[in-house]
Amino acid sequence: MDLTITVLVYSSLAAAAAALGAAPLLVRERLPIALIGWSNALAAGLMLGAAYALLLVALEPGSGPGAGGALLGIGFVYWTRAASRTTELELNRLEEMSPDYGYKILLVNTVHSSAEGVAIGAAMAVNLPFGVLVALAIATHNVPEGTVLCAVLTSRGVRLSDAVGLAVVTNVTQVLLAVVTFAIVMAEPSVLPWALGVAAGALVFLVLFELLPECYRQAGPRSIALVTIVAMGIVVLLSEQGI
Amino acid sequence: MDAVLLVFAGALLTALATGLGALPFAFVRSVSTRTIAYSNALASGLMLGASFGLVAEGTRFGAVQTILGGMAGVAFILLTERVLRARDIQFGEVHGDGARSMALILIVMTVHSFAEGVAVGVSFGGSMSLALLIVVAIAVHNIPEGIAISAVLRPRGVSVAGCAGWSIASSLPQPIMAVPAYLAVGAFAPLLPYGIGFAAGAMVFMVFEELLPEAYERGRKAGVALLAALTLVGMMVFQQWL
Repeated sequence: MDLTITVLVYSSLAAAAAALGAAPLLVRERLPIALIGWSNALAAGLMLGAAYALLLVALEPGSGPGAGGALLGIGFVYWTRAASRTTELELNRLEEMSPDYGYKILLVNTVHSSAEGVAIGAAMAVNLPFGVLVALAIATHNVPEGTVLCAVLTSRGVRLSDAVGLAVVTNVTQVLLAVVTFAIVMAEPSVLPWALGVAAGALVFLVLFELLPECYRQAGPRSIALVTIVAMGIVVLLSEQGI
Repeated sequence: MDAVLLVFAGALLTALATGLGALPFAFVRSVSTRTIAYSNALASGLMLGASFGLVAEGTRFGAVQTILGGMAGVAFILLTERVLRARDIQFGEVHGDGARSMALILIVMTVHSFAEGVAVGVSFGGSMSLALLIVVAIAVHNIPEGIAISAVLRPRGVSVAGCAGWSIASSLPQPIMAVPAYLAVGAFAPLLPYGIGFAAGAMVFMVFEELLPEAYERGRKAGVALLAALTLVGMMVFQQWL
């Protein structure tokens, strides 16, 4: 199979994982909030572990491009939030009642998906197992993201099937950026450390900015810290096999 | 005999360098909640970056051993917290949660120095010709660790001299462990990945359980996340250089 198609398939699967997030809503209308905290902590640990592995590869040829990329990645995610006036927006607020909240988290999810796409594309360019590992981390993150989005949208009168569709569609930028990043890096291998740096910086910042603060509120520091560090350890072990 | 003295002196020098980490905090006077939040974020980034570097080194000796060591590190923190919570500890004027964070970071960084001391001794054992380079590298690398310790102690009212003293004390296990590790590289080298994993696990867990939650509670989310992410990347680059 052509490698670009492989990237397309894996990033699409990761994007589609958002639909799985609707499953708990079929069983229960109101979800235990700690469950969302733990699943986000799992995603945070997997993403931080991925960022660790991405950074190591990015800094290998010399620290300049990798570090420059990481700064770009952090700056990009921060800028998108600041520019869209959503810096103070709390994601994962099921109880949030303001009418435009649904639109805002749709916007934020769409924007940060592009950074996640860069991560998948750059990791795929290192090698396939590493790419699959990063795609898996992003897919895990997309599930609770889908759950929250579906819960928020359905409580505002959107049909569940439509909400699931929207949750998947917010990740289309992820597929697009994964394929574009992969194609660029394949054509011009010297940008790989930059792309890996961007991916690592963006993932670290997403975890610290969007995931962990909410997790702590939802489930308390001890269980969140445990879930996060176990997930990081799993990625460290797996990435040792891959790269 | 000469070599042993040299290893001890080298490792002692690196321990003293940790005290330099207190210097940037000479201008931090106020004990405000915002200072604590951003100092915690700074310490978190430094400790996460340092742990990433440690794990990268540990996995070269054995990934599974490093992870096992990491699990022991997490268990150690849970146990230590249990002990600290059980009694009302006091640190200078500070009681309660603040004092627990201060005691905990000192314990974590001291324990992590044992692993680093072994690493120093083992690397000396490899080749004495690199001795000076290793001493300088470790000494410079210890400064951010002093910064991390001072970042937790200083905003809670410890003097700059006190921060420097505690930072140096936390590094004293380095010369103590470096000498036996140098003399018996064969015996210590297999323990290295466990020790490195232990140090990394303890530091990462302390960041996630104590430092970050407190930082988010007291500071603005964006500022805390930016500072921690930037220092993490900065620390990784810094270690790459050495």
